[in-house]
Amino acid sequence: MRRIDQLRSPLFVSWQLTRDCDLACLHCCTESAPGKRLADELDAHEAMAVAQELIRNDVPYVMLCGGEPLLVAHFFAIAVTLGAAGIQLKVETNGQRLDAAMAGRLAELPIRSIQISLDGATEQVYASQRAGGSLAKAHAACRAVRAAGLPLEVTFAPTRLNIHEAEAVIDQAQALGAFRFNTGKLMRIGTAARLWTRLEPSADQYRVFRQTLARRAGSRSDADMELCYSPFSIEEGLDQSLADPPATLLVLPNGWVKVAAVLPHICGDLRRDSLLDVWDAYRRSWNDAVVVAEAGRAISTAALHPRANDWQALASNPH
Amino acid sequence: MNETKQKLHENRTQKQDRTESRDQDRKINWQTPCMDDVSEQVTAQPYIRFT
Repeated sequence: MRRIDQLRSPLFVSWQLTRDCDLACLHCCTESAPGKRLADELDAHEAMAVAQELIRNDVPYVMLCGGEPLLVAHFFAIAVTLGAAGIQLKVETNGQRLDAAMAGRLAELPIRSIQISLDGATEQVYASQRAGGSLAKAHAACRAVRAAGLPLEVTFAPTRLNIHEAEAVIDQAQALGAFRFNTGKLMRIGTAARLWTRLEPSADQYRVFRQTLARRAGSRSDADMELCYSPFSIEEGLDQSLADPPATLLVLPNGWVKVAAVLPHICGDLRRDSLLDVWDAYRRSWNDAVVVAEAGRAISTAALHPRANDWQALASNPH
Repeated sequence: MNETKQKLHENRTQKQDRTESRDQDRKINWQTPCMDDVSEQVTAQPYIRFT
């Protein structure tokens, strides 16, 4: 029996609070950027109702992300509500606004991870990929997180612009006290898809990158920081999901729930449906011929990956 | 997006029709999710990474 068929509700909810962002990253797979807030994003009241649903149904772990979640006016209200109920939290941020005061507020919550994106080891490379961003601010945020006693996680999205600095970023993440370094193949979704010919690393660059990751993962001196790069690609991830779907729901800023981040299908709407209804639909979606066929096409044809952002509701969720 | 909203509405109607069978499903000995079951790998899946 699949794990999702044993669980009454999801283990993990990845909740994109907004599409708004203070950076315009070239590699962004959600197409977030300044002014990109969706017209129908959940307001504070609606978001709080979703939070109560997560609490009522014993979801143990929630990630608050975006866009940039710290731009959302009700971010702390949601985080405090979830945290007070004992839900473990992960916050995914670009770190541009995360100072000591904010880290102190976050430290009062049951935070499992603060994930900060470091997509370059030098200001020039970082800013070329994370347009409008400052590496110095991102590093300062990492130090503020660690000074507040919070667990720091670093993510790195490889592109042709920054892949040559990957090992230097690993060194920096380690020096900053990260417990984990996340990376993987650049995903051809969203803004990255639009700029694909400019961003896609070459096969040779990927080969060197994989060698670097494997070497560093096996290094005893890196034992205090986990290198996480599996599944490495969308294809590998979908393969795993088809065999054993993750007990994870991905909530979009308007409350819609995707079957998988890399697929276009929507299986519910938390503005109207209960979490249990959505969870029920999600579990059945992985048996839906439409979903299985689209996943198969995405595994065999990378050029179809950009379709992930063309959201479409499933016509049915048959038992 | 309007088409997606319409389909979501239709799905909701279908879901109401399935309430009875779902209630029967809930008689299964469901496990309550707990943090110990959360694989850290799950939280580091592609796409979740790159925003």
